[in-house]
Amino acid sequence: MMTPRTVGLGIAIIAAATSFSVLFLPAMTAPTQPSEIFRARTNIENEGRVLYIRNGCIGCHTQYIRPSDWAFEPLRVSQAGDYIADSPHLLGSERTGPDLSQEGGLHPDDWQAAHFHDPRFVRPASIMPDFEFFSDDQLRELIAYVQSLGGTMADARVARQNYWKPALIAAYARGQDANAEFLYAHVPPQWATLPNPYPADANALAQGEFVYEQECINCHGPVGDGNGVAAPYLNPKPFDFTVLKRQPWSGGLLYYQIMNGITGSAMPYFKEDLESAKIWDVSNYIATQFIGTAPTLPKVPIPYQGAIPASREPKGNKQ
Amino acid sequence: MKIIDSSPGSTSRRFILSGAIWFLAATAVGLLAATELVAPEIVKQKNLIFPRIRPIHVNTNVFGFLSMLLVGAVIYAVCRLCQAELWSERLGNWTMWLWNLAVVTGMISLSMGYTQSHEYAEYDWAIDVMIVVALLLLTYNLLQTLKRRKEQLLYVTNWYVVGALAATLVVYVIGNVMWKPANGALAGMTDAEWAWFYAHNIFGTWITPLSLGLCYFWIPRETDTPLYSHLLSMIGFWPYFAFYLQVGTHHLIEAPAPAWLKLIAEINSVALLIPVFAFLTNQWMTLRGNWWKIPDNIVLKFLFAGTVFYFLTSTEGSLLALPSVERITHFTDWVVGHSHLGLLGFSGFIACGAGYGALREMHGRIWSERLAHLQYWLMLVGIIGFTLVLDDAGSIQGHAWRNGEVVYRVLPELMQDYILRAILGCFIVTGAAIQVYNFYKTTCPQISPADERDARQSAEVAS
Ligand code: HEC
Ligand code: HEC
Ligand code: HEM
Ligand code: HEM
Repeated sequence: MMTPRTVGLGIAIIAAATSFSVLFLPAMTAPTQPSEIFRARTNIENEGRVLYIRNGCIGCHTQYIRPSDWAFEPLRVSQAGDYIADSPHLLGSERTGPDLSQEGGLHPDDWQAAHFHDPRFVRPASIMPDFEFFSDDQLRELIAYVQSLGGTMADARVARQNYWKPALIAAYARGQDANAEFLYAHVPPQWATLPNPYPADANALAQGEFVYEQECINCHGPVGDGNGVAAPYLNPKPFDFTVLKRQPWSGGLLYYQIMNGITGSAMPYFKEDLESAKIWDVSNYIATQFIGTAPTLPKVPIPYQGAIPASREPKGNKQ
Repeated sequence: MKIIDSSPGSTSRRFILSGAIWFLAATAVGLLAATELVAPEIVKQKNLIFPRIRPIHVNTNVFGFLSMLLVGAVIYAVCRLCQAELWSERLGNWTMWLWNLAVVTGMISLSMGYTQSHEYAEYDWAIDVMIVVALLLLTYNLLQTLKRRKEQLLYVTNWYVVGALAATLVVYVIGNVMWKPANGALAGMTDAEWAWFYAHNIFGTWITPLSLGLCYFWIPRETDTPLYSHLLSMIGFWPYFAFYLQVGTHHLIEAPAPAWLKLIAEINSVALLIPVFAFLTNQWMTLRGNWWKIPDNIVLKFLFAGTVFYFLTSTEGSLLALPSVERITHFTDWVVGHSHLGLLGFSGFIACGAGYGALREMHGRIWSERLAHLQYWLMLVGIIGFTLVLDDAGSIQGHAWRNGEVVYRVLPELMQDYILRAILGCFIVTGAAIQVYNFYKTTCPQISPADERDARQSAEVAS
C-alpha cells in the first residue's frame, strides 16, 4: 500500500486541496476595497520602500497595529484595506523596534534624518543600526516613505509638522529669549503657572537624571545647553535650558512641553514613553541641574485654576 | 579531489560535509548578528549590518546547514533501506554543487541587499530556480533509487522522504510566487497569507519530515530494536501533512486576515499534537529498555535529544497558536527562541546525529568520538541557554508591552539576555567548528587518534 506512488500522490492531493482552501480561497475572497485612510504612494515614496526592503528594516519593524496593542497615539487597528497596494507585504513578525504602520508625521524630517544617520543621536539607548551609508537622495526617499506610513492619517500629521516648522525656525532666528517667549505663548496658562508638585529631593533627581540620559541627552546635551550630538542635524536646534535662567520658570511649563512635544521641531512628545511622575522628575532635574533654580514646594496647596475649555463646557451652562 | 565524483557514497558524503561547513558559516554569521544587537555600532560595513546579515543567517541555516546535512543523511538512509547504491552519483554530485552554488549566491546577494523580503523566502528568483532544479534532480535520483528496492513496501523513512519532496516542490514554487520573477509577491493581505503558508511549510514539509524520517531510520537501527508500532507510524504520517499544510495563518493571528482562515490555522495547530505524539510515542517506546545505550552512542544521543526538543517545540508551538498566548508572545523574542528550539534543538541535533551515523557507517568509525561528545554538550548548553534567555527576553517584552510600555523603553531590560545569547552563541559556533573538523578527519583516509596511539606504542616497543 505505501509505495512511492501512493505516498507521492497522496501528499500531492493533500497539498492541492489545502492550497485551495488556505491559499486560493482567501485570495479569491480578499477585500479589494481600499480602507478610508488608504492613498496611493508617490514615486519617491515607492523608491523609499525599495530601500526599506533592501535594507531589511522588516527584520526589526512591523507594520500593523493589533487589537491588543495600545500606547500608540494614532491608535487605529490596521485593516486589510490599508495594504492593497503593498507588494510584497511588509507586515513583519518581530518588534525589536516599534511598529511603523502609523509612523508618518510622528516626527518631522530633521528628526528622521538625524535618526537614520545614527539612531543613538535621538534615542541614546537604541539598538537600531545606523544608516550613514545612504546618499542624500536615498535618505530623502526613505524619509518620504516613512512619512507616508499611515496613509491619509499620516498626511494630516505631516501637514501639521510642516505648518509649524517655519514659525519655529523664524522664532529661533529671533534669538534665544524671543524663542522661549514664543514657545511659552503656546503653553496654556494653567500649565505654565503650575509648580512642580514633587520635591526635588535626591531620589527624584536621580530618577530625573536616568530619564534625561536615556531620552534627552543627545539632543539637549550633557550640560543642557542644546549642544547634543544630534544638534547639527536639527532645525530649530534643541533648546538651551540655561536660557531659562532669565525667564520666569515653572515646573508645569516644562511638564507640558515634555508631555506634548513641540510639533514642527525635533522635540518629540513623551506622553507615551514616560509616566507622569517621570516627567515631573526630569523637569526637576533640568531645573536644578541646568537652570539652577531649585524649585520650592508651594507652602499652601494651590487651588486648581484651570478654566474648562469652551468646547468641553456642557451646552446648557452657557448662560 | 574530483569535482564530480562518481564513487558510491560520494553524493551523500559531500552533502553532509557541505552541511557541516554551512553550519559553521551560518552560526558565525548568527554570532555576529547577536553581537550587533548588543553593540549596534560594532560593524560599519554596510553589507554586514544586522538587517542584511539576519536573512543570511536564517537562510544559510535553513538551506545550507539543515537542508544539505539532512539531504546527505537521507540519501544514505534511502540507499541502505533499498539495499542499493544511489541511482546516479554523477547526477547527485551535480545536484550537490548546484545546491552549494545556490547557498553561496544567496549569501552574496543578500549581503548586497537583493531580497524578496518574505521571511525564509528572501532568496531572489534566480536562486529559487536553482533550488527548485536541485530539488527536482534530487527527487528524480531518489525515485530511481527507490525503484531498485528489494522490499515492495516502503519503510516509514521513505514515506517521509517522498512526502517531503512532493509537498516541498509544491510549497516552494507556490510560496515563492515563482511566476512573478520581479518581486516574487502578490499584493496586500493575500501576499502575507501566501508568504506564511510558505514559511511555515518550509519547516513543516521539508525540514521536519526529513528529520522525523531520519529518527525512524536511526533509532531502531542503533538500538537493534524493531520499530514499536507501524500503526502509530501511519497516525504520525498522514495527519501530519494534512494538518501542517493548513497552519500558516497562525503567524497572522492579530493581523487583518479573514477570521475563518485564522480559525483553521489555530485548530490545525492544536490538532498537530496528535501526529506529534504518535511519532514521539513510537520513538520513545522503541527506546524502551534501550535507554542505557544512549549516553555512549553519539548518534542515539543526538537523535534522542532531538526528539525531546521536538516535544518541547511542538507543544510550545501549539500554545503559541492560541490567541490568548499569542497576545503576549507574538512579535517578541519568545518566537525567536521557538525558532532556535525547533531548528537548532530539534532538526539541528537530528541532522548532526544522522550525519555522524552515516559517516560512521561509511568509514567504519568517527575520527574522534570524544570530540563528537564534546560538540554535543556544547550544543546542548547552547540551545538550552538560548531557550532560557530568549524566553526571558520574550516574556519581558510581551508583558511590558501589554502594560503599555513603548518598545524603546524596554530595550535596556533585554540587554542581559542579548549579551548572554551572544556568549552562548560562542558555544554553538565552537560545536560547529568541531563538527567540520571531525567530519573532515573522518572522511580522510587517515588513522584515528586511537590507531595513532597504537602505532606510537608499538613503535616504542619496537625501538
Ligand atoms: C536592529 C533592529 C532594527 C533595524 C534593522 C531597523 N530598526 Fe528602526 N528601530 C529599531 C529600534 C530598536 C527602534 C527604537 C529606538 C529608536 O528610535 O532608535 C527603532 C526606531 C525606528 C524609527 C522611529 C520610530 C519612532 O517614531 O519612534 C523609525 C522611523 C525606524 N526605526 C525606521 C527604520 C528603518 C526605515 C529601517 C531600515 C532602513 C530600520 N528602522 C531598521 C530597530 C531597528
Ligand atoms: C530629537 C531631539 C530632542 C530630544 C530627544 C529631546 N528634545 Fe527637547 N527639544 C528639542 C528641540 C529641537 C527643542 C526646541 C524647539 C524650538 O526651539 O522650537 C526642544 C525643546 C524642549 C523644551 C522646551 C523648552 C522651553 O522652555 O520652551 C523642553 C522642556 C524640552 N525640550 C525637554 C526635553 C526633555 C525633558 C527631553 C527628554 C525626556 C527632551 N527634551 C528630548 C529636541 C529634543
Ligand atoms: C506542533 C508543532 C508546531 C506548532 C503548532 C508551531 C506553531 C508556531 C506558531 C504559532 C508560531 C508563530 C508564533 C508567533 O509569531 O506568534 C511559530 C513560529 C515558528 N515556528 Fe513553530 N510550531 C510548531 C513546530 C515547529 C517546529 C518543529 C519548527 C522547526 C522545525 C518550528 C519552527 C518555527 C519557526 C522558525 C518559527 C518562526 C517564524 C517567524 O520567523 O516568525 N515550529 N510556530
Ligand atoms: C551561534 C549560534 C546562533 C546565534 C548566535 C544565533 C543568533 C540569531 C540572531 C541574533 C537572530 C536574530 C533574532 C532577531 O531578529 O531578534 C537569529 C534568528 C534566527 N536564527 Fe539563529 N543563531 C544561532 C544559531 C542558529 C541555528 C543553528 C539555527 C538553525 C538551525 C538558527 C536559526 C535562526 C532562525 C530561523 C532565525 C529567525 C528567527 C525568527 O524570525 O523568529 N540560528 N539567530
